[in-house]
Amino acid sequence: MASPVPYPRFLPCGDAALIVEFGNAVDKALNDKVLALDQRLAAAPPDGMVETVPTFRSLMVHLDPLVTDPATVEAHIAGLLGDLAGSAAPGPIWRVPVCYEGDLAPDLEDVARATGTSATEVVALHSGALFQIYMLGFLPGFPYLGGLPDTLYLPRRTNPRTRVPAGSVAIAQSLSAIYPVVSPGGWHLIGNTPIRLFDSGRDDPALFASGDRIRFVPVEAAEFARIADAVAGGDFVVEKETV
Amino acid sequence: MPVKVIKPGLLTTIQDLGRPGYFHLGIPIGGAMDRVSLRTANLLVGNDEGAAGLEAVFLGPELEFTEDATIAVTGADLPILIDDVEQPGWTALKIKAGQRLGFGYLKSGARAYIAISGGVDTPPMLGSRSTYAIGALGGVDGRAIAAGDSLPIGAGAGGTEGATVAPDLRRATGSPVELRVLPGLYWHRITETAQRGFFDDEWKVAPEADRMGYRFRGGKALEFVEREQPFGAGSDPSNIVDGCYPYGSIQVPGGTEPIVLHRDAVSGGGYFMIGTVISADMDLIGQLQPHMPVRFVEVDMETALKARADRAALMNRIRGALDR
Repeated sequence: MASPVPYPRFLPCGDAALIVEFGNAVDKALNDKVLALDQRLAAAPPDGMVETVPTFRSLMVHLDPLVTDPATVEAHIAGLLGDLAGSAAPGPIWRVPVCYEGDLAPDLEDVARATGTSATEVVALHSGALFQIYMLGFLPGFPYLGGLPDTLYLPRRTNPRTRVPAGSVAIAQSLSAIYPVVSPGGWHLIGNTPIRLFDSGRDDPALFASGDRIRFVPVEAAEFARIADAVAGGDFVVEKETV
Repeated sequence: MPVKVIKPGLLTTIQDLGRPGYFHLGIPIGGAMDRVSLRTANLLVGNDEGAAGLEAVFLGPELEFTEDATIAVTGADLPILIDDVEQPGWTALKIKAGQRLGFGYLKSGARAYIAISGGVDTPPMLGSRSTYAIGALGGVDGRAIAAGDSLPIGAGAGGTEGATVAPDLRRATGSPVELRVLPGLYWHRITETAQRGFFDDEWKVAPEADRMGYRFRGGKALEFVEREQPFGAGSDPSNIVDGCYPYGSIQVPGGTEPIVLHRDAVSGGGYFMIGTVISADMDLIGQLQPHMPVRFVEVDMETALKARADRAALMNRIRGALDR
């Protein structure tokens, strides 16, 4: 007995939420369906919907049980599930500067050794990929990035760090990520970005949204320092590629 | 008119009704664990129900007032002392400039809510003053209160001194607890024996119980239906390919100790879940002490929705009784 119903399926989760699950893998095609449904719900929200949370392979919908109920919201969503594949509007491509050098990249050599490559190759593979934000979570504005080249697949560190610096660019398993704030963490740190991903003082506090795409642009230490100063002074704008 | 923090208590945080709308960025709703108690405390002192107050866990703070104010304390049964004289809970109390508010030892429940006329007036972040320490949001510079802090208080007319909430409208804390559960999520992944055992067993609140989630132990480990592990979920049958974590959902890492996610939950991850505590019973969890016996009780959606409507009706009766 595997899944009781075929995908997409609704997972009952109490009187104040429901989940639509599209499959059972961390996979771009599934994540695109999550984003597509999220976009459709934003355009046509059912009465009593409070908020939606897109994650890797499923969309969580919170509702107000004093206004509506899960069955009513499920029926509304069921009407929006047709032809989701390929229908998500693509997110912008952000060019994120990263310094892959020295103390800013404490695990780069280990990653090169463990994957049978060189530090130069790791940087080339990582900065050559186009990532998509599958989900924001764990920490405010922490982007889980799909699109890591298979060569760089590694399990998490056996000894998680108690303190990962803000801006750390990391990889683990099939994903990459950026730590928005200082936190504990078990991913491999291969670089650091000086940009500020999360600022609670901004109206829109997270720089990125789920579905946005990221290209990492290698910068040298001197350029990293210059950008860090500009960010501190409030006059650095993260570039977007014209698609 | 600041309030000075002489002693912070064990963990006292500024909380209002939280910040909905940011879970998609990884920021949970947060806010008071026991919302009815916070709303009631605010009504007693003449505040908006959603004004920010203090949530004190197990051990109350000691506060010195620099101006006259009206205060009320609801929630856990934590003896209230003004200049060492015991005062009633669930009641609007006058406190004068120079007086100190302190607390005795906890009798029952876990979280007391302290409302002050005018409300705590720290800067709102993303629409709320609630403290979310993991994201350094709200509160005093993103953290719990500390000795030496000076808490800004807004302007407020204050409630009617002596106004009180009748005992039958107060939510009991401390009696053996039943938490009502809607099975769902990955419920089909455990055997029927395990499903029955989950509801038949007596569980106890574990010491690992906080604003993110409450852990329970003492019941039997769950047996899983055999299946082929999907790629990316590891070899542990309690792991799933990362999914969504709703508030109140019951995750069971390793199949052994259920954790009910609460208001500071993370939005997703790789532990499987077997159901969800109904929204009407979430406040109750915030009043559970470690080692307290708890039983999970299966209910259907109709019961859950009725319970939620009953909770709203209770709040209306409190408003009516306080003429608000």
